[in-house]
Amino acid sequence: MTAAHSQDRIELTREVIPHAAIAREVRANEDGAVATFDGCVRNHSHGRSTLYLEYEAYESMALAKMREIAEHLHGSFAINRVAIVHRLGRLEIGETSVFIAVSAAHRAAAFDACRNAIDTLKKTVPIWKKEFFADGAVWADGELPPAPAAAETPAAKPASN
Amino acid sequence: MVVKVLYFGRLKEIAGSSEESVEVREGERIEELFARCSSSRPELRKFRSSLVAARNREFAAWDTALSGGDEVGFLPPVSGG
Repeated sequence: MTAAHSQDRIELTREVIPHAAIAREVRANEDGAVATFDGCVRNHSHGRSTLYLEYEAYESMALAKMREIAEHLHGSFAINRVAIVHRLGRLEIGETSVFIAVSAAHRAAAFDACRNAIDTLKKTVPIWKKEFFADGAVWADGELPPAPAAAETPAAKPASN
Repeated sequence: MVVKVLYFGRLKEIAGSSEESVEVREGERIEELFARCSSSRPELRKFRSSLVAARNREFAAWDTALSGGDEVGFLPPVSGG
């Protein structure tokens, strides 16, 4: 990681996400914009009233994938700092489950990078949500991450000597 | 050789465990490991087409050959956010 990227904040937490503090942290004097995404727990799902949610993760892999997202943002958008924080465990209605903040000199890059981060997170980061209703619980429908179709074979690599 | 197998989300409930050590043969592929793990769990086998595999915290193809000590995760569709 470069020095600039070491300012990024990539975390999984079981505590309430301090979103106001995170939005302040990503801001530096050279920035003209901070775009944030606050994903929060909705009180309904597919027409049923939700009581609460539980999130779990493949934590080591999820953190690695979240860091990859931040690296991709730095390589693709004219941005400064990135924060991606996801909460695990039981969450009540209205609480923040994921918070993303991106700072940049100009707003377009901040908006675009923030959108890219949440869209990619929902497709590739191994986190799962269980929805609890008055009459039972279900694992939320999700997205199957893209995986390689075939393993790389050593024979396919050019000989080095 | 032995690999560590991890189950998540609904797979964990179906497998009845979140983690197990599995003895595999040298060079065994992830596909064969899944067949081995699901041989006594028909409910798990039904999910083969709706899960992805990870080897050492990276998404992996089903024909990936395993090494001793590998960590293999079987991951249902993700729903973070």
